Amino acid sequence: MKNRLKVLRAERNWTQAELADALEVSRQTVNAIETGKFDPSLPLAFRTARLFALRIEEIFIDEASAQNGDGVNAEAGARDKAVAVI
Amino acid sequence: MAIGGTDEEPAEGQGGSMNASKPQEQRYQFRVLKSTRQLSKWTGVWVGTVCLMAFGPLSLWNRGSVFTLLAAGLNVCVGLGLILAHKKFLANMDELQRKVYLDALAITVGTVFIIVVPYAVLDAYNFVHLKTGVAISGLVILMSLTFLASLLYGSWRYR
Repeated sequence: MKNRLKVLRAERNWTQAELADALEVSRQTVNAIETGKFDPSLPLAFRTARLFALRIEEIFIDEASAQNGDGVNAEAGARDKAVAVI
Repeated sequence: MAIGGTDEEPAEGQGGSMNASKPQEQRYQFRVLKSTRQLSKWTGVWVGTVCLMAFGPLSLWNRGSVFTLLAAGLNVCVGLGLILAHKKFLANMDELQRKVYLDALAITVGTVFIIVVPYAVLDAYNFVHLKTGVAISGLVILMSLTFLASLLYGSWRYR
């Protein structure tokens, strides 16, 4: 599962430690989620969504549905690509 | 807490409320530190009672004394406290730390079974034989080293 956590964090100029503190997890966990090594549980995904005031599917992208060009996920994927280009 | 080097609170809808106003005792790092300290204390006391049980009959009282039984009882009671402290320590971890820790425990239990079962069978047919004390010590050392190696590997994997 891909996610936009790193981009969202960078947009707000937050460090991994600050985000970890806000989500009540360790910095290692934030790093593992950002690098795609670890998928968060549903409660943590909800906490993340609440913190960024976004919907879960705007942060976490199911790769299978993104490949199918599925609604919000495809939109988020396109936004990620645009940010990467910039 | 100031985010991104400014004192301004992020606007609502920009993903605002970092937990600046949260009391210290509710914060993750504080809770983990507190439960780690408690676990360390319980472990220290437990090791102390093991030493008392092991060396008390040799240097503090006579072998076969009722004090040996009391020391063993104390060790079991402190052991129960240690288990509860360990449970609390696990509960206070975040989900990744817990996963790494539980993976390490699973590998340790699996390794012990893999080593102990063939050893027991070979021992039954007199292929190998170790004194009971040596076998138990070896088992504890094996468990400790396996757990430590698994924990380090897990931490490195998700670094």
